[in-house]
Amino acid sequence: MSGENRHDDLRAKVREAVMSLDSPSTSSEATTSDLSLDEELNLHAIGWEAVELVSGYSAFSTPMGVWSWGQGEITAATEAHANAFSSAIRRLHHEAATAGGHGVVGVHIERSIFSTYTAVSLIGTAVRPIGAGRISDDHVFVSDLSARDFSRLVLAGWEPLGLATGASFVYAPRRTIGAALAQQSQNVELSNFTDAIYAARELAMERMQQSAIDLHGSGVVEVKVVEGPMAFAAHAVGFTAWGTVVRLAAGEHRLMRPSLVVSLDDPVVTFDAATLG
Amino acid sequence: METNLVDGASTGFSSGLSVADFAACLAMDLEPVGLVQGFCAMQAGGFAMGLTQMGQPMGGQGGYVENYQCPHGMVGGEHRMWGQNYEQTWVEQSWSGGFTAALDRMRDEAARLGAHGVVGVVDTETPLAGAGVVEFHLRGTAVRVVGTTPTNTPWTTYLAGQRLVKLFESGFAPVSVVAVAASVRVYAYCVTEYLMGGGGVNIWSSSSSSVEINQIVRAQSLSRDLARSMARAQLHGDDLHAAQLDVVDREHERGDLEILSTLRGNRVRRFRAFESLATPRPTVRLT
Repeated sequence: MSGENRHDDLRAKVREAVMSLDSPSTSSEATTSDLSLDEELNLHAIGWEAVELVSGYSAFSTPMGVWSWGQGEITAATEAHANAFSSAIRRLHHEAATAGGHGVVGVHIERSIFSTYTAVSLIGTAVRPIGAGRISDDHVFVSDLSARDFSRLVLAGWEPLGLATGASFVYAPRRTIGAALAQQSQNVELSNFTDAIYAARELAMERMQQSAIDLHGSGVVEVKVVEGPMAFAAHAVGFTAWGTVVRLAAGEHRLMRPSLVVSLDDPVVTFDAATLG
Repeated sequence: METNLVDGASTGFSSGLSVADFAACLAMDLEPVGLVQGFCAMQAGGFAMGLTQMGQPMGGQGGYVENYQCPHGMVGGEHRMWGQNYEQTWVEQSWSGGFTAALDRMRDEAARLGAHGVVGVVDTETPLAGAGVVEFHLRGTAVRVVGTTPTNTPWTTYLAGQRLVKLFESGFAPVSVVAVAASVRVYAYCVTEYLMGGGGVNIWSSSSSSVEINQIVRAQSLSRDLARSMARAQLHGDDLHAAQLDVVDREHERGDLEILSTLRGNRVRRFRAFESLATPRPTVRLT
């Protein structure tokens, strides 16, 4: 279609759209989604559609005092984190299945870790193959991949199976007074902290991999890692990892050969008075 | 005299559009006619109700209410014998009243300019001096379809520019911006108080394992559900697009929590079926 025809077509569509507002909607099934139009078009191009904006929330208590002193992993905190995640995911499964979704994409994950409880909030859009019927909660997948990445994954012959998560909170043992004094004003590695981070990392990554295996996945993509000291406990470090579990659904991986494009959409050059100096 | 940008303007116009969005509007035969705005400073009339003492059921206000009873059989001033989650309907009504008034005023301005719709809507809510007073401010660019006369209340959308082009191209018409707020208040009962404070389910036990805090989970989940139901109630069979659900919680004091879920999005109506789309082609951009 030539540029002029395309413009005429667009203008005709705008007029048709504006005229359609003269009469009420004839649809009986409204959908809600937090996807952009590009993402919806991407989904549609692979035969999927958005169904409903869904959410899952959970909060688990952490027993008082577990952060303050000790050695090794802070199991109660790790347990609270794992429980909060799995409970929020379970609720997301249920909401999505109730809405007729087969999966949830673009899940936004928000975690709040306090000394006495951990909360996890998940919000995403339930999606399904166009016109597909309902499935049970257990078969719904949850993924933090964007709808665009989900489309790419499906085109390459893969499928998402769920969210894999792993976390560990570990004490960094305090140094003896003698060691602290001897190391004062020296450039020295604090191996207690380094070791704690390594220990937390080992446990968290192992748990994430185990949850991927439990979902019968062959790998985890888009793994996010959050690590560091806990704001409310100077001698505790945390390591959390999560990502989307995937498995090859087609007979073999379909190689995607990208085309090279040269964009004619140059960035806007703004006048910068500082360059005159 | 009518403004006509395409054939040569005879009166000036103002717009909040970027140059790129302005160009996209002209490509759609939408000419900007003015920057329109709506304001409303709203006080939550029932603000004082938020200070209601424990033990005063809020069920009379309508909306969701759920009570939690102490399982320990203890009586004492310090012991929270019961708790409650309830929907703060007066907060929701105030929010919705303020937003809708500002939206209507913006639409009225657009209608007076002879516009078909308002594009690139931006809304802000700013607390003003005085407890519980919020200023709602909506603004956008009123546009007119070249060569036609509007017959309806102007439509509104958060979209502009290429995003709006894509909306029309994909067979959707913008109907209205939608914004709702759901407010749930939590007065913790003893079990919730102990669990949030790191204790066990009763005052004597110090739990060694983690336990789900049901009252909080219910309140948080309900506030999200309520926001979605309110938005759905405004759709009348249309779709809600590019929605954004924001949840803010505020702990006034221990066990006294207020959760506000706001949901915004574009209500859109399908005027043509999706045309079958080509399979997306991956590209690498040479920049």
